[in-house]
Amino acid sequence: MGSDTACQSCDLLVSVAATKHGESASCPRCGCFLTRCYDDANHRVLAYSSAGLMFLLFASSYSFLSLSRSGVENKITLLQTPAALWSYGMPEVGALVAAFIIVIPATVLAMMAALCILINQGRYHSWLVPLAKGIFLGQHWSMVEVFIIAVIVALVKIAAMATVVIGISFWAYAAFTVCFTLAVSSLDRYQCWERIEALKAQ
Amino acid sequence: MCLKLAPADVRQCPRCGSAMHVRKNDSIQRTLALLITACLLYIPANLYPVMYTDSLGSAEGTTIMGGVVLLINLGSAPVALVIFIFSVMVPSAKLMAMFYLVWSVQQQSSLDLRKRSTLYRITEFVGKWSMVDIFVVTILVALVQLGGILTIKPGIAALLFAGVVIITMIAAENFDSRLIWDNMEEKNSAN
Repeated sequence: MGSDTACQSCDLLVSVAATKHGESASCPRCGCFLTRCYDDANHRVLAYSSAGLMFLLFASSYSFLSLSRSGVENKITLLQTPAALWSYGMPEVGALVAAFIIVIPATVLAMMAALCILINQGRYHSWLVPLAKGIFLGQHWSMVEVFIIAVIVALVKIAAMATVVIGISFWAYAAFTVCFTLAVSSLDRYQCWERIEALKAQ
Repeated sequence: MCLKLAPADVRQCPRCGSAMHVRKNDSIQRTLALLITACLLYIPANLYPVMYTDSLGSAEGTTIMGGVVLLINLGSAPVALVIFIFSVMVPSAKLMAMFYLVWSVQQQSSLDLRKRSTLYRITEFVGKWSMVDIFVVTILVALVQLGGILTIKPGIAALLFAGVVIITMIAAENFDSRLIWDNMEEKNSAN
């Protein structure tokens, strides 16, 4: 492991190189989280991200929610949700929602899986750096867990007006959320860049 | 970007190739400009309806606060509380917190450094949760399409509110929390 790092929050120079498996470090001055070390982080991230991608595939292929009242029924899939805003004259919001809940999380997971596969090969690859940069940028802008809360709120709101049935896609999306969160929290920024640099130095 | 330490005069990171700055460029100006934009958007976002409920021919608009009141009337106070916290309290508290942080850095204050650092981290973390209301509207618009019986359409405030949330997120990202600590170091070295 390499040299010291600077705390992102207050710029204090800290030595975290001695962090061992299962330990985490935070800044002594401002309390900001610095790094968490897992020796098997690569395998964890690969497992979570590939599972998450599969759940997302399920989530987008079956019915997400359905609603019925007085004999009229409306069934939607996950992809139809942002598309509806588009067709009601709000393409901007539709595109943003689609990006936050599907496109960005899916891209981040795919990039994570690719990064882990490349690192597991044990050789330096020119894609490693752009992949890692993309992952840490995209993580900030994915809102899968927010969307799950929103679904629950929406269900409570309409339960009084009509009958709502939760489709299999919803459960798949919930599982995707869990996998996504686990994958993101298992990939430590400091450790990941240290590993890339170690491969480059070989 | 990649947490690599490099000499202050290096222009590009040797590890990830990103452009390097000792502090983020024009952090205070950018943050302040984005905050003012968000404040201006925040006013119409609360005044205009976020969605229209069309039930058997009679259309009715609901604002963000109206949605909270509706939920309380429906008897689901916990959910009303969730929406109230994320769509009303968080955005306004966040704007105030960011203004306070910018102001305290401008004043070169060296009080409560740790608390202000924590305040910034909370502000940064909580930002995206304000999108809950936008997602709720999205789901309702997609789901509640029962012809003449019951239809929900999005309102202009959905776009404005999404703008507020995203702009405050970018503002928080542009703020350099290390500026909070710089004053302390300067004062210490002056002593």
